[in-house]
Amino acid sequence: MLGVEQPSSPSTLAPAPRWARWFVGAFLALFVVCGLAGLEAWPLTGWRLFADARQARQPGFQAVTVDRADRETPVPFAGLPAGYQGYVQVLRGFAGLPTAEQAAVCQAWAEAVRDRGGEVAEVRIYQTVTDVSARIGDRGAPPERARRFTCRPRSADAAG
Amino acid sequence: MPRGERGAVDSHRGPGSGRATLPLREAWRRAGRLPSARAYGRVERWLFAPGDPRRLAALRIGLGGLLAARLASGPYPELATQPPALFRPISFLRLLDQMPSPEVVAVLQALALGAAVLATVGLLTRATLPLAWLAALPLVAMTSSLGKVVHNDVLLLLCLVPLLPSRAGAAWSLDARQRPVAARGPAFGWPVRTAMVVVAGAYFFSGLAKLLHAGPAWVASGNIRWVLYASSDGQPEPNPFALFVADRPVLAHLVAAATLAVELGFPLVLWRPRLAWLFVPAVVAMHAGIGLAMHLDYSVMAATVLVVMVDWPALADRIVPPGNPPGGSPDPSGPRPVDVEERP
Repeated sequence: MLGVEQPSSPSTLAPAPRWARWFVGAFLALFVVCGLAGLEAWPLTGWRLFADARQARQPGFQAVTVDRADRETPVPFAGLPAGYQGYVQVLRGFAGLPTAEQAAVCQAWAEAVRDRGGEVAEVRIYQTVTDVSARIGDRGAPPERARRFTCRPRSADAAG
Repeated sequence: MPRGERGAVDSHRGPGSGRATLPLREAWRRAGRLPSARAYGRVERWLFAPGDPRRLAALRIGLGGLLAARLASGPYPELATQPPALFRPISFLRLLDQMPSPEVVAVLQALALGAAVLATVGLLTRATLPLAWLAALPLVAMTSSLGKVVHNDVLLLLCLVPLLPSRAGAAWSLDARQRPVAARGPAFGWPVRTAMVVVAGAYFFSGLAKLLHAGPAWVASGNIRWVLYASSDGQPEPNPFALFVADRPVLAHLVAAATLAVELGFPLVLWRPRLAWLFVPAVVAMHAGIGLAMHLDYSVMAATVLVVMVDWPALADRIVPPGNPPGGSPDPSGPRPVDVEERP
């Protein structure tokens, strides 16, 4: 009935059990420590969402495929499967990878492009600096770029 | 020994206790009089105060349903085919050299999805909810193993944690149909309030990270403009929402200041529940704005906030007053209709 407290059974009147207090205490302590210290102990996290202040001149990387006529085409990451969508982080850490792992990354990207009908003789990785404050209409000006890496992935035939 | 020479131990013997009070116990008792200890006591009393079983059930249904929807639509089979060279594992997935195989992912997804659906409808809840969470954990970890933590699902997973050992199936469930109606009690309060602390903490720590890493420049510099310009330039077509804000420096500063204020201020909702009317729509609008301007999907995070912070039983009681079911006679044994949240 509206506004009338229902009689509770003895079990529902008992205070929260000790295990519940320990469970909640431990969970919230870990949650707070990770939040305060910025620790990543997934699924606990430091909650760094857009935490850095961006500058107008933004460093980055660009990966392109090159065909036999030396025409460059940006790797179409947006059209590749979910497993390829971490390319920004892969590119950022590319310089620190051992040579064999760098080659494996290039090979994976090249094969994905070939699977979609593209021709890949080389994969080139450029370091870029984009000044997003320099606008040309609704778009940013092209980035300054310098080639950092060139890989020559095996062809599908050679890989077999 | 004369009474005056007994020292601290005997001089603090409680009336009729017949037992000496140890110095440690007395120190603890004195510490309890400190402001910080009193505040801790108030928080603890708030956290473990009685709660409405229907509010906990609403969390089970809402969060369980969200988890089921994520598990049904997630990119897990696609991630399972990722070339090993692109694997950037997080947490326990570091034990693997590559993403789990498509076969393992299919079994985990079926198990997690089935258990999540059962937990949502409240069948064998004490088993199905933990099973759904455990089976979902490696799948969700896969989405964060591309080099960047996906916070969209993390809040959902963390808000489910306090529900795992709780009596979340005591109301609004198939389990509850075979039992007497559960009354308001301490067993139903702490899981809900712990989830509320997690939501409030998530936004507070997001704001805190901005202050610690960027400082006042997060608001005072062109930060938001440059983020939005870069995001628009990275999209196939220029984004009118991003450009609308980025082209107006004053508006960009206001958006940044409002974002920081909402994030840092969100815990006030725990102290003054009425402030939820301000902060909950604000964070939902913030995520909607990010979605429109940057095409980043934080829909699960926004939905988790709504599920946890809205008092769904109170809302249900406003629509259908208890004891006056539409077309039915008053039910005197119905549960207490309105859950009044105590303040910490």
